[in-house]
Amino acid sequence: MITSVNRDIMPENWYNVVPDLPEPLAPPRDSKQDFSSINLLNKILPKEVLKQEFTFRRYEKIPDEVMEQYEQIGRPTPLIRARNLEKHLGYRGKIFYKYEGATATGSHKINTAIPQAYYAMKEGVNGVTTETGAGQWGSATALAASLYGLPAQIFMVRISFEQKPLRKTVMNLYNGNVVPSPSTLTEYGRKILKEHPDTPGTLGIGISEAVEYALDHDYRYMVASVMNVSLTHQSVIGQETKKQLEILGEHADVLIGCVGGGSNFGGFTFPFIPDGDETEIIATTADEVPKFSRGDYKYDLVDSAGVLPELRMYSLGADFVPPTIYAGGLRYHGASPSLSLLINRGRIKSDEVTESEVKDALRTFANTQGIIAAPESGHAIATAINYVKAHRNENKTIVVNVSGHGMLDLSIFGEKQ
Amino acid sequence: MKKLIPYFTLGYPDNSRLCRFLDILPVEKINYIEFGFPSDDPRYDGPVIRKTHSVGNSNFSDSVYSKYFDYFYKNHIKMYSLSYFSDIKDRFDEFIAYLQKNRFSGIIIPDLIIDYFSESRGVIEDLNKRGFEYIPFFSPATPDSIIKNVASLTDSWIYYGLQPSTGIEIPYELDYTTERINTLLPGREITYGFGIKSDEDIKNLMKNGGSGVAIGTYLVKMIDSGDEKGFVDYINRMRGVLDA
Repeated sequence: MITSVNRDIMPENWYNVVPDLPEPLAPPRDSKQDFSSINLLNKILPKEVLKQEFTFRRYEKIPDEVMEQYEQIGRPTPLIRARNLEKHLGYRGKIFYKYEGATATGSHKINTAIPQAYYAMKEGVNGVTTETGAGQWGSATALAASLYGLPAQIFMVRISFEQKPLRKTVMNLYNGNVVPSPSTLTEYGRKILKEHPDTPGTLGIGISEAVEYALDHDYRYMVASVMNVSLTHQSVIGQETKKQLEILGEHADVLIGCVGGGSNFGGFTFPFIPDGDETEIIATTADEVPKFSRGDYKYDLVDSAGVLPELRMYSLGADFVPPTIYAGGLRYHGASPSLSLLINRGRIKSDEVTESEVKDALRTFANTQGIIAAPESGHAIATAINYVKAHRNENKTIVVNVSGHGMLDLSIFGEKQ
Repeated sequence: MKKLIPYFTLGYPDNSRLCRFLDILPVEKINYIEFGFPSDDPRYDGPVIRKTHSVGNSNFSDSVYSKYFDYFYKNHIKMYSLSYFSDIKDRFDEFIAYLQKNRFSGIIIPDLIIDYFSESRGVIEDLNKRGFEYIPFFSPATPDSIIKNVASLTDSWIYYGLQPSTGIEIPYELDYTTERINTLLPGREITYGFGIKSDEDIKNLMKNGGSGVAIGTYLVKMIDSGDEKGFVDYINRMRGVLDA
């Protein structure tokens, strides 16, 4: 039984945007002629997760056990008016930020890790496995698995593994086992290492390794982002935000979030989609990964090995290897199909920001609000600051999703701050 | 009477074996028949049906099929084409004329509202003008508003796919599925397909107001094995399940 005074802010259901999309969501498609990668999902995902991936239910009840853990890890997260930032920018309107960095693992990722680990535990499997970029998702997976007494095998993109050793420490503290990807634990990883020994790794390679590991060890694969189910679980962010704005008597004119695969962004913004077109919604990506401006809206591989089904999404190509950028969580080549559809329809706008803009935004946010945001979230903050500069005399209410903290990402600033 | 709709890909596994199974098909037990016209990219079919398209493409022979089209028409079996818009869009007029000449009643186009959404209304209205049935194909991923809007463009029966592609086994909530479509389209004739797995499923679909089922993947497996007796027995059994 949940007794928190904040319970009223937490939604009782996850929200699934599919029934409210303006056109049908293209289903996943097998990438190989004689093999059903869709059926493969049956073997690697918990049944309930799979059901939720393909459901048309607008609302899915959050199990009590998951609600309990949501509360334990810090939900509801705060919605804070950034008055200092408003003042610093000389803005006549209002800026709010939803702070997912306040969760136990320091990002939004735990919102879907908990239910997925819960459903895996209910099936009595040997453990869970996944890939991770910057390590936020790996940390969330490790903690969620640990909460339900499951081992977790995590494949961390090699460049991030080397750049962020403390993430490995965090995952180990949560009882997770972490290896750099490509690794020698899987056939696919060994093949990549043989062909490209100096590869920095990609999320696509990590996904392929995790799927192979799940199949070989009776583990369940944890879906970090892109697939609809993860966005559905993340809808707690947007639903809480709506409720908190309502309590404050406010209405969001503009919503801004960053996009790697789309989970924090979709979770934050999709609950506002049924309300009509009056809220402007902006998705920010890294200048180095310009998926919405230079990617194609097409069926493409989710992972580089083509193990998972193809999805119709904005994509730079599954073999896209981005520069070794400072925001590992934004290196992914594609974006979730539902988000891609809404971008393609023009309902959601996109923006790209440069590394220098992001670092300036992170510094400004730290100096004004005291929060050291994750580099990924810094993209959303940079877009918000640019938006304010372009609309200085307007009186809009802007809400930004600060999807995580950056306390383990300080190396991006180098020696001199 | 509940509708039983067997599916065959033209040209699969070869014309002589396909004809053999069409010959023994107990026409008195079926209501409609669905013919898949081989596609270069049957993207919304599972691996079993996909294979039939690639084989059927190389065997397609209009002269072989025309007598069967005539035979089914004369036996009052409504014929429907299952065709991908990606294959027919550049020769649409010619293809629909061909179907009408062979006395098909209508067409199912699984990729129309997914991949060609902006063109779909025009295509449906065009088919309406020609007096040719467009059978809306919906799935669990079709938004509510689209189901209502597309269904309103036609009076025909509805094809509701239970799965993202044929022959796939993703868990679905049967009762909730039927409740949803019945609520969105009260009084419409709803036929279910894409992943029906058991007699029990069929019974429940009918109990919940379904008007029929389309069977494809399972028949292909029997055709593959050359199991003529099993094929006839299965059709008879399905009739019994639907009528129970």
